[in-house]
Amino acid sequence: MIELLTMNLTILVGASLVVVSILTSVISFRIGAPLLLLFLGIGLLAGEDGLGGIDFDNAPAAWFIGSIALAIILFDSGFATPLARFRTAGGPAITLATIGVVLTSAILGAMASVAFGLSWMEGMLMGAIVGSTDAAAVFFLLRVGGITLRDRVRSTLEIESGSNDPVAIFLTIGLVEFITASSVEQGIWHMLQILIKQVGVGAVFGILGGLLIAQTVNRLQLETALYPLLVVALALMVFASTSTLGGSGFLAVYVAGVVAGNARLQHSAVLRRFQDGLTWLAQIAMFLTLGLLATPSSFPDVLLPAVLLALALIFLARPLAVWLCLLPFGFTRNETTFVAWVGLRGAVSILLAIVPLMAGLENAQLFFNVAFLMVLVSLLIQGWTVRPIARWLGLIVPARQGPVDRVELELPGQAKQELVAYRIAADSPVGRGERIPRWARPALIVRNGRSMNVHTAGRLQPDDYIYIFIPPEQVHLLDRLFARRAKLDPDDREFWGDFLLTPDVRLSILADSYGLPVPEGDRGLTVAEYLKRSFGGRLELGDRLRLGEVELIVRELDDEDNLAAVGLAVEPTRPSRPRLPLFQSWPELAALLKRRWR
Amino acid sequence: MEIADLITPQSIIANLRATSKKQALQELARRAAEITGLHERAVFDVLLERERLGTTGVGNGIAIPHGKLPNLDGLHGLFARLERPINFDSIDEQPVDLIFLLLAPESAGADHLKALARVSRLLRDKSICEKLRGTEKTDALYALLTESPASRAA
Repeated sequence: MIELLTMNLTILVGASLVVVSILTSVISFRIGAPLLLLFLGIGLLAGEDGLGGIDFDNAPAAWFIGSIALAIILFDSGFATPLARFRTAGGPAITLATIGVVLTSAILGAMASVAFGLSWMEGMLMGAIVGSTDAAAVFFLLRVGGITLRDRVRSTLEIESGSNDPVAIFLTIGLVEFITASSVEQGIWHMLQILIKQVGVGAVFGILGGLLIAQTVNRLQLETALYPLLVVALALMVFASTSTLGGSGFLAVYVAGVVAGNARLQHSAVLRRFQDGLTWLAQIAMFLTLGLLATPSSFPDVLLPAVLLALALIFLARPLAVWLCLLPFGFTRNETTFVAWVGLRGAVSILLAIVPLMAGLENAQLFFNVAFLMVLVSLLIQGWTVRPIARWLGLIVPARQGPVDRVELELPGQAKQELVAYRIAADSPVGRGERIPRWARPALIVRNGRSMNVHTAGRLQPDDYIYIFIPPEQVHLLDRLFARRAKLDPDDREFWGDFLLTPDVRLSILADSYGLPVPEGDRGLTVAEYLKRSFGGRLELGDRLRLGEVELIVRELDDEDNLAAVGLAVEPTRPSRPRLPLFQSWPELAALLKRRWR
Repeated sequence: MEIADLITPQSIIANLRATSKKQALQELARRAAEITGLHERAVFDVLLERERLGTTGVGNGIAIPHGKLPNLDGLHGLFARLERPINFDSIDEQPVDLIFLLLAPESAGADHLKALARVSRLLRDKSICEKLRGTEKTDALYALLTESPASRAA
């Protein structure tokens, strides 16, 4: 009877913690605090030194819960990353996720060994534990935060955060084994072997697992509600089997997510929704558990050095590593500054701090406490300031279209078409009389609760609901027609440039009107040709090019990504004015050196 | 470069009557011709030419038409409050009721751009635009344009 009572009490406590966490999300949106910090805080409050007084210090159990949660989060973040993102940002992101993590860990490791009087290897371990950025935190702040960043910057940060955990995990586990191994040579050789096996097995199993998931979902006919469960269970199988065979399960599950998410899946809307919910639960569970595991009363001993180390991470190690990694990729200085700033540490670092605990290292508790405090500092300082910093650096792309009232409906048995319903807003292009293209003829129109077909409905009217069958990948093309008008903020005028140019204006005319230095050979080009050439053929909204005193800005792209409108700013705009005297690019460095030598 | 270097109280029109973009530009060209001694037609043609490259209606009810003319003795600005907002093919498709016209000599070079930047920065200030819309006296408009912090060199 007593056991039953404790069981029920445990359920009650666990469930109430989750409920409280979810309810606090409302506050978090209000005050803009990073939600994850709140979850962690609730875990701390409920723990042994807090109001709750729950005494939980079962490190293996926390590792178990944390691993499952992290696997789910990583799978989901891979699942939601379109392959196109890898094309725009794969290079810089993967460099950051590999070399970047090693560099950050090494720089920080050196400082940690000095700060805490640890051996070099223990210092490196400290660096590795906090070496990776947190996917949950980065995704949350970039997506839920509701800020629109330039695609390249956002994709770089997202892919980095999704793919750098395996590297940090590998480094941490490797270093723990190294420290416990008897001879040094055996240690290094051993580490290399692990690295190759981890990455190789992880990647291969990830790809295979992803294909397997896609095939299973598309081949089987099941109760709809079972698909998402099947996918998550398969993902966890990929994770566990890869880890068992000595590969990186975290890498595998992320890769599997990317592969499966980019395959055409039936019921993809159901899968998405389920995974969204599950990822929330995983984040809450992970942060709560880690908060519970911590013993805040032992924090004061290491408080000062831990905070200093966190500041060193934020202001020194991460910026230096990011700058070196991004040098070859032609990021602007403000973009590099932002990537350096969004190096949020999160649950993964705390999770990794459990590894030394489980291995029974001498300074294990120190590692855990320092890592925990560093994550707190990072979430507080960086998490709270992502939006203002993005604004300060001029990286927020003002919204080009207003909200869209759209519902997507899944069709049974196939993934090639879906049914989308739009409500027509009076100030949308369609509401103002623009025609709907032939390939998207409405199947049904509902007006005042009565359904009618296209022929009997006549002109579309505001507040009509219209239903269209369309391949999922074309939905975004329709959104433009149904979007409400975005309000132009005077600040946006600075971002896009005050004046408008039609893309087929010749450079010669522009040069003569504004006295711009255009090379003789380029005078015959149109603005569109000139921009396209300067950006290697691929244009993105917000791309900007300096031409003498003015700036040409990619302001509008049509459905085929051709230039539709160009902004003209008559003085350098905020995004192109470097905010910090740091993060110079190669050409800028070369110019600096040249000046020195003279 | 300051706004006061571009306009005089004589170059303020507190209540411009126009029903179309073309008419507004025509009327502004006429007034500009009076001030500068240039040919009205020449000014109008230059403005129209510029509009062909892309609209100078920058959004939020503001337009900054501009152009370069030979034989001009310096930078000249002209500010007009419209009696009724007109369609100006603006970037945000909203009607325009404040117009700042800027004419520069052919040789102006960087000064032309500096003046444009100054004017566009001034009219990005929401509170100034509100005050300009609410003021009907020429002197007061002149004072608003030239004496606000945003109109002075940074």
